[in-house]
Amino acid sequence: MADGTATVGPVAAVGALTRDQVEILTARKGEPEWLRAGRLKAWDAFAAAPMPTTRDEDWRYTDIGRMLKLEGFALADEAASVADADGLPAGLRAVVDESGETSARVAQVDASVVLREVPAELAAQGLIVSSLETALREHPALVERWLGTAVTDEDGKFAALNSAYWTGGLFVYVPRGVKVEVPVRSYRWITAAGTAVFGRTLVVAEAGAEVAIVDEVASDDFDRPTLSTSAAELFADEGAKVTYVSVQRWGLGVAHLSTDRLVAGRDAKITTLYTTLGGDLSRADVKCRLRAPGSHVDMLGVYVAQGQQHFDHETLQDHVAPHASSNLLFKGALDDRSRSVFRGLIRVHPKAQRTDAYQTNRNLILAAGARADSLPNLEIQADDVRCSHAATVGQLDEEEIFYLLSRCIPKAEAVRLVVFGFFAEVLDQLPHEGVRRELLRAVERKLARRAQA
Amino acid sequence: MAQPLLKITNLHAEIAEDGTEILRGVDLELNEGQIHAIMGPNGSGKSTLSKVIAGHPAYEVTDGDILYRGESILGLQPDERARAGVFLAFQYPVEIPGVSVANFMRTALNAKRGEEVDIFDFQDELEARMGMLEMDPAFAARSVNDGFSGGEKKRNEILQLAMLEPLLAVMDETDSGLDIDALRIVTGGINRIKSERPEMAVLLITHYQRMLNYITPDVVHVMVEGRIARSGGAELALELEERGYDWLREEAGAV
Ligand SMILES: Nc1ncnc2c1ncn2[C@@H]1O[C@H](COP(=O)(O)OP(=O)(O)OP(=O)(O)O)[C@@H](O)[C@H]1O
Ligand SMILES: [Mg+2]
Repeated sequence: MADGTATVGPVAAVGALTRDQVEILTARKGEPEWLRAGRLKAWDAFAAAPMPTTRDEDWRYTDIGRMLKLEGFALADEAASVADADGLPAGLRAVVDESGETSARVAQVDASVVLREVPAELAAQGLIVSSLETALREHPALVERWLGTAVTDEDGKFAALNSAYWTGGLFVYVPRGVKVEVPVRSYRWITAAGTAVFGRTLVVAEAGAEVAIVDEVASDDFDRPTLSTSAAELFADEGAKVTYVSVQRWGLGVAHLSTDRLVAGRDAKITTLYTTLGGDLSRADVKCRLRAPGSHVDMLGVYVAQGQQHFDHETLQDHVAPHASSNLLFKGALDDRSRSVFRGLIRVHPKAQRTDAYQTNRNLILAAGARADSLPNLEIQADDVRCSHAATVGQLDEEEIFYLLSRCIPKAEAVRLVVFGFFAEVLDQLPHEGVRRELLRAVERKLARRAQA
Repeated sequence: MAQPLLKITNLHAEIAEDGTEILRGVDLELNEGQIHAIMGPNGSGKSTLSKVIAGHPAYEVTDGDILYRGESILGLQPDERARAGVFLAFQYPVEIPGVSVANFMRTALNAKRGEEVDIFDFQDELEARMGMLEMDPAFAARSVNDGFSGGEKKRNEILQLAMLEPLLAVMDETDSGLDIDALRIVTGGINRIKSERPEMAVLLITHYQRMLNYITPDVVHVMVEGRIARSGGAELALELEERGYDWLREEAGAV
């Protein structure tokens, strides 16, 4: 950010978020009544909810009212469709080009999905990958059945804002038993500073389906506060295997607030990886619900904060059903004067006997001015469970650095290598080799900024 | 005669944190191609000397100098010393979780040579060197020293020595923790490297005569209480084996 402060302050009011705008939006898109009503109800929930303060337990270390003024953002423009990836804005094309193997892909620029490619053989198997708007027209019953059932107006002010205002969006539907081996890619890009975008993701994997989705957001750096409020809902039915990788690479100037809800059915397996690298302020609220026996969720996270970036991760491993397991590992490196907050909760409901749930958050402080707060928590109402949590905030090990120096490696590179190794434990758990390599490169690039500073 | 490769004069060093003096006037000269052994009781300062030569930030040199190829290296960072050809095989090699031996080795080699090493040449070389040390090729993919047994760690140190081709190799108790076969393999590796590059000088810190059966030193030094208390030929090691260190301690105390 150009002026060197972490405050995403007000700008001249270009447009305001209003109920009228919600009406205009839904009318112009010709949406069905259930959705119109849902958007307006969400707007009312948003308007009624006060801005969180540090007195709210969830926001204790992120003074959102000071960091973010919700006035003055212009709604992002609608963008024209493009014939192929070459037609995308150059910055986004670079992001797309860095991606390895891809099955289907969808790219959103500002308010609109502008590119959609689905290989014919996958479409023939019934795989649906499209914008959520398109899905509303082509598969209205599916969207109505699932949209807004996991992310509701009770999920906080910003989730409600997203439900009122989302446009474009990603819809992935994998029918029963269909296995999509190569990752599905979604990209979201903002072109203009000072705008607000509202991304929305809905993923439904039917029984026995398998899919991996890389959901990536990126932009250039902006000299004005820019807002991204996103929400994702993901459902894995019986025996389904879903990998959901979120890559947040917004430029500086962006405030990113996401609310993601993932639901695992009987014997389903969900792996999530949150990679948080960009923006001035990034807050991810991720809750996984283990709804039925035999379900397993791996929640992974990697974050690298520099400058005055402020990253906040809030997680819940919500064990509703017995005989389910979850494992969380979030690791972050904090440089310069950056801050991170991790608040994680394992909640075991009274009926969820035989739960196995683990939670670990580790932070590496790279500079004296950086700070990490880690607050792991357990709330256990069943007696036959195995649960643990651990949190550490530590510095670089001087002996490790000296060892690398003594092997000819310059200091900056030695630090990068150690940090890199620190993250390997997380990234190695990702089942997709290609995606793992891409993320390593993204982390590497972010760390390389350090040496230049 | 040509200048010594390493010349340490009246070296005093203390623990930077609390000012405790550990090295109290070390004098040592090592010529190119020579092998010197340093022996001495526990806590006498041998590892400290090796780390001070390598530039460990925990120690502060308060007096004296370390000349390497005729120039003081006290102002050089550890990585600069390493690139100039100083290598330290650690008594306790450090674990670097998540960084593979191959990645680590390649990064080190690139830094040493100042250019990107060809990946295939690198792999060939690494494989050959691992073969020489009878290391399982699977080690290349494992995290550096992470979960390695004591002996495996020491072999890994020699692997690095072989790859980085230093001019001065300081080896701190490379023999400790090795079983008889491993000792043969490791000393065989060192001798092999030495025969390939006879100009390399070796400073061998050890407690045991048995290592010196495999690697014959030109000079044996005994370190006592932060100083070289005595120097002699290979036979000095045998004498120490027999008599222990007390007589030297008494002599040192009498000084
Ligand atoms: N960083 C340090 N902090 C505190 N004490 C230290 C440090 N480094 C060395 N010492 C102390 O200095 C003395 C010399 O230690 P050093 O490791 O050099 O001995 P050594 O001769 O290598 O012993 P050994 O034969 O047991 O390996 C010891 O008393 C040791 O505890
Ligand atoms: Mg020692």
